[in-house]
Amino acid sequence: MIRLHVFICKLITLSTLAVALPAWAADSPLTLIRSTTERARAALQDPAYQGDDRRQARVEKVKEILLPQFDSAELAKRTLGPYWRDRTDAQRKEFTQLFIQLIEKTYSGALDRYNADVQFFYDQERIDGDFAEVDTRVFDPVQNKTYSINYQLHKVDGKWLIYDIVAENVSLVRNYRNQFNRILSKSSYEDLVQTIQAKLKQLSTPASS
Amino acid sequence: MSSKLAVAIFIGVLSAGLASQPVLAQTGSLDRDETEHAPPYDPWEPVNQKIFWFNLRLDEYVLRPVATGYSKVVPEPARQSVGRFIKNLGIVERLANNLLQGKFPGAGQEIGRFAINTTLGGVGLFDVADQWFGLKASPEDFGQTLAVYGVASGPYLMLPFYGPSTVRDTVGLAVDSAMNPMNYFLSTVEVMAIRGGLTVVNAVNYRSLNLQFFEDVDRYAVDLYGAVQDGYLQRREKAIEE
Repeated sequence: MIRLHVFICKLITLSTLAVALPAWAADSPLTLIRSTTERARAALQDPAYQGDDRRQARVEKVKEILLPQFDSAELAKRTLGPYWRDRTDAQRKEFTQLFIQLIEKTYSGALDRYNADVQFFYDQERIDGDFAEVDTRVFDPVQNKTYSINYQLHKVDGKWLIYDIVAENVSLVRNYRNQFNRILSKSSYEDLVQTIQAKLKQLSTPASS
Repeated sequence: MSSKLAVAIFIGVLSAGLASQPVLAQTGSLDRDETEHAPPYDPWEPVNQKIFWFNLRLDEYVLRPVATGYSKVVPEPARQSVGRFIKNLGIVERLANNLLQGKFPGAGQEIGRFAINTTLGGVGLFDVADQWFGLKASPEDFGQTLAVYGVASGPYLMLPFYGPSTVRDTVGLAVDSAMNPMNYFLSTVEVMAIRGGLTVVNAVNYRSLNLQFFEDVDRYAVDLYGAVQDGYLQRREKAIEE
């Protein structure tokens, strides 16, 4: 009888935990970064996605995991900086889509070089109201090098979303903003769109070496 | 081991302990506003552009092929040792700049690192100071010292062969190389020859260790000049902040 009682208690505790855990997990930016990274890692190591012929499926799978964690419009807005204001809604949508494609292409190249021995360290998080920062490090045993990767997040409708990544002290958003602003200040928005489209086309062909 | 060396190591280890005290979490807003950073100050862009393209050609036709060949002949651990050996020689300027910036734990770390790596680390080929004693490098240069004393970076400046810089960092570079102890022992011609040789070896070595990185930047940048410029300035900003 006591045994049954203990069993029921355990069951209740476990089921409460099971309900409470995801809710709590959604609240911590560090947990979010860790679980997203681990899910992407699991997908990359999944036997179903190995080999060159499954590259497309692998990239799609990782994209499916990563993309919902990013605030695409915020990324695009911040890379355009002061030029975002002058864009129409249609242009903003167009640009957001283009920019995300550019990021995807860049990262799918990096995925090809992923190896199972890469180690991830999730160091700390800082939360300040609706903004948060997560410090992580990646150790690449092939190069025997550790890289710092810092994620900037903000809360949108109760969910933490990434709006910038700072790799080795270089903010992705700031770096693209400098590139885009140089084109925008000398030429036009239309020219920037064309330049990015040309880049996307070039990236669709495999690297020369 | 001489007693002086032992003292130096002791001070180094001690101050490294002090340096690794947990730093209080930063206060202030984490919101990185997109209007926070002004665009880089680059009034000499036409000239910088020309030097940038010269450097790119130089890289494409000389440095990259040489570095690629070198990376095939010399295994990576050996190349990393070459890099560490050359880095170890820069002790005097790093020490001086740590002291000038009032970074006494950093200065102690550098003394300890030099003492340990020059002896136990086989003339600096291995970084045992970090691996065995947890003594991290405190790489300060005179450009950072000037920044600490309130000198503004001045215009962005692309240097031939060397790469991105600013006016302040170029002055820093000149002062740092004048601090090298070789200057006291050798004639100017010898110093120039050795420094030239070391610079070339260092450039080839560094390039060989970063073949993929250079290729990635080149491939994925929409505006390469802007990507390199911002990358340099952001990393410098962070280095000065620390």
